[in-house]
Amino acid sequence: MEVVVNGEKQNYSEDKVSILNLLQQNEVDKPELVTVQLNEEFVDKETYESVFVAHQDQVEFLYFMAGGSR
Amino acid sequence: MNRRFSTLAIHGDPIKKDVHGSIRMPVYDSVGFEFANSKDIQQSFEGRKPAHSYSRITNPTVEDFETRMRLLTGGTGALAVSSGMAAISNVVLALAESGSNIVTTRHLFGNTLALFEKTLKPWGLEARYVDMTRLEQVEAAVDKNTRMVFLENITNPQLEVADFSALSQIAGQKQIPLVADCTMTTPYLFLSRKFRVDVEIISSTKYISGGATSVGGVIIDTGNFDWKQSPKLAEAARKMGPMALLATLRKEIYRNTGACLSAHNAYLQSLGLETLFLRVDKSCDNAMRVAQYLEKQPAVKRVTYPGLESSPFFQLAREQFNGKFGGVLTFDLDSQESCFQFMDALQLIKRATNINDNKSLIIHPHSTIFCEYPESEREAMGVRSTLMRLSVGIEDVDDIIEDLHAAGEAIA
Repeated sequence: MEVVVNGEKQNYSEDKVSILNLLQQNEVDKPELVTVQLNEEFVDKETYESVFVAHQDQVEFLYFMAGGSR
Repeated sequence: MNRRFSTLAIHGDPIKKDVHGSIRMPVYDSVGFEFANSKDIQQSFEGRKPAHSYSRITNPTVEDFETRMRLLTGGTGALAVSSGMAAISNVVLALAESGSNIVTTRHLFGNTLALFEKTLKPWGLEARYVDMTRLEQVEAAVDKNTRMVFLENITNPQLEVADFSALSQIAGQKQIPLVADCTMTTPYLFLSRKFRVDVEIISSTKYISGGATSVGGVIIDTGNFDWKQSPKLAEAARKMGPMALLATLRKEIYRNTGACLSAHNAYLQSLGLETLFLRVDKSCDNAMRVAQYLEKQPAVKRVTYPGLESSPFFQLAREQFNGKFGGVLTFDLDSQESCFQFMDALQLIKRATNINDNKSLIIHPHSTIFCEYPESEREAMGVRSTLMRLSVGIEDVDDIIEDLHAAGEAIA
């Protein structure tokens, strides 16, 4: 499965990859401080573990550095 | 694990482990920060990589203070700024525009009123003044051009308390953010998120700084408001979701107005936060004792303190402020001359402006903070020439009372 993360193509062999898995694979220390867009839609922080990406999905990890809430 | 208030205030949640194992966030007194390569700096500017680039925008010591404030308020995020006034002006600039209005009250800190009337009015912003304790006035003042309802949760120096459950209901129905200056209570006494405040503003110069050590302010987005409903932020909400307000501030208004808090002041304010709960408890307890003492003095014509059962705001304050009533009270003598004589006779209590210092401070607002307003306006604001504001510190309360008593005897 190919996913585009912050403009870069990444390949995953697993069938199911959650947003949390993606954040961990990309070595994000504190996932709760990242704002995630999946195909231009914001993903609720509470659902990072339960929302899964699909082949060709576009994912953006955004850091607004807005007060301890990166 | 859900940590409690004092633990969060003391430990925070450090973003990174310090390279030397320092258990206190160091003061990063550096303007610029280096990047490993060009791609990293590009990604940082695009918001795709978390990194500090320039201290007018972000700084590690300031971020540590902001993180603590976010944890203590349970909000979406917090932005630390150079003063409480910078916090108010940044929020107004973010939410309102020329031709729009804000619904507020004349019972405001004098500089806040001056910001609305003297600084922002010529740029086309209308401030509509109502009595926040009369909900029908608030409801009637709101129209399609209203961008926020703004008030102080304990007004200074009138010490009125508004009903936040009712006000938030009105603001919510009208889809307008409720913005509250909660300096007098801090998140230790008033959890703005719970009372459906949308944006909390604090002058951290006061209680938070730990004894008037530094000037600062904080803006907290409680996460209660959907910014798609804000005409000014609707487009930002599409791009930045729930971070629309804070990201607009960080990436535009805060950045462009240079409202940043210095790393040194952020360090002092984090230090102050660690003992906030102890100092607030003590000053509130002292204020109650002093108010009760003053109420019994024949020369004192009136004592205003929400903690007195004689206050019309007693019940509301008790419900909203965690059983405490703040550290500020006012009292009246028979004339301005008596007030001046009384203040001049004090030996311990300092004649100084500011509130919520560790030291007790007294001021005559009519001749100082509000001196630029005509008499009729001061009257409308409840700033009488016979009124003194006392910010009760954390000294031994018997020493405070003895000082007040001696001053009273000196002018008898």
